[in-house]
Amino acid sequence: MPLILNDLPPLHWALAGVGVAGVTLALLLVGSRRLGISTGFEDVCSLVLRGPYFERSAVASGRGWRLPLLAGLLLGGVLSAVSSGGWEPTWDLGIFDRAIGLGPAAKLAWMFAGGLFVGFGTRLAGGCTSGHGIFGLSNLELPSLVTTVSFMVAGILTTQIIYRVVFPLAGGL
Amino acid sequence: MTLVYLVLGTVFGFILSRSGAADYNYIQGMFLLEEFQLFGIMAVAVVLAAPGVWLIKRRGRTLLGTPVAIELKGLHRGNVVGGVLFGIGWSITGMCPGPIIVNIGEGKIYAVAALAGALTGAAAFGSLYERLERPFRLPALEVGTGEG
Repeated sequence: MPLILNDLPPLHWALAGVGVAGVTLALLLVGSRRLGISTGFEDVCSLVLRGPYFERSAVASGRGWRLPLLAGLLLGGVLSAVSSGGWEPTWDLGIFDRAIGLGPAAKLAWMFAGGLFVGFGTRLAGGCTSGHGIFGLSNLELPSLVTTVSFMVAGILTTQIIYRVVFPLAGGL
Repeated sequence: MTLVYLVLGTVFGFILSRSGAADYNYIQGMFLLEEFQLFGIMAVAVVLAAPGVWLIKRRGRTLLGTPVAIELKGLHRGNVVGGVLFGIGWSITGMCPGPIIVNIGEGKIYAVAALAGALTGAAAFGSLYERLERPFRLPALEVGTGEG
């Protein structure tokens, strides 16, 4: 299956896995940093919000390395598009367009609603796919195993409901 | 050092972009249990990173000679409840936190709305922390739920 981005063939999963492990280990070896992206949401919030949670020393001290890491993610996406046929703003959403087919305004509302779950959920759980699923599991941490099982099961159930019950996918992926 | 983190983030973002980890169809394919790609990526990443983390901890120093100290996260009710909420959000948007940012970089306009939602959700969580602390048995506010 090609990627939505420029119809590219995806990297082999084993190669991508090696790359993710490499970045994880580099962060630890260079700066004793735990890979983790969702904390970056708090870092961004703390730039404008006040209150005891956002003024903790843990938040202030993490911004110096995590905000550049997040900026890199943005840059990585840009470079990936530019180097593979061009960067172009798009509303393309793959099987969503085929099975659910909402227009731009409704798509934004859908994404904002989903984003609320992502932001609140990852911070309540103390991490996301990277912080718990990759780093936490690699460091054999029990809370990470509990969280990873929770989000994988919930993701599987939600998608099964969306694409097998409510908006059945004709003709598969 | 800022440049080092920017470069590592760029490499990470490029891999997420090109591997399907930031692709709506691949995420749904994973949750439909019809597409192996992302399970393969996560498995390889963890299997390789685990011995690496162990070795770096044993070495005990970073490349700059400073101590390696990994702050462990607490186990609490938020792991299950937060994990479930995140899983629902990951399925709805087709994006976990890193890929939200990567997708914006790629030019996917709707990802900006996902980021706005995620920042609002994180802001709500932080503002409500003291009220959530007791029912979810969260660590003290100064500690928080941990980096991730």
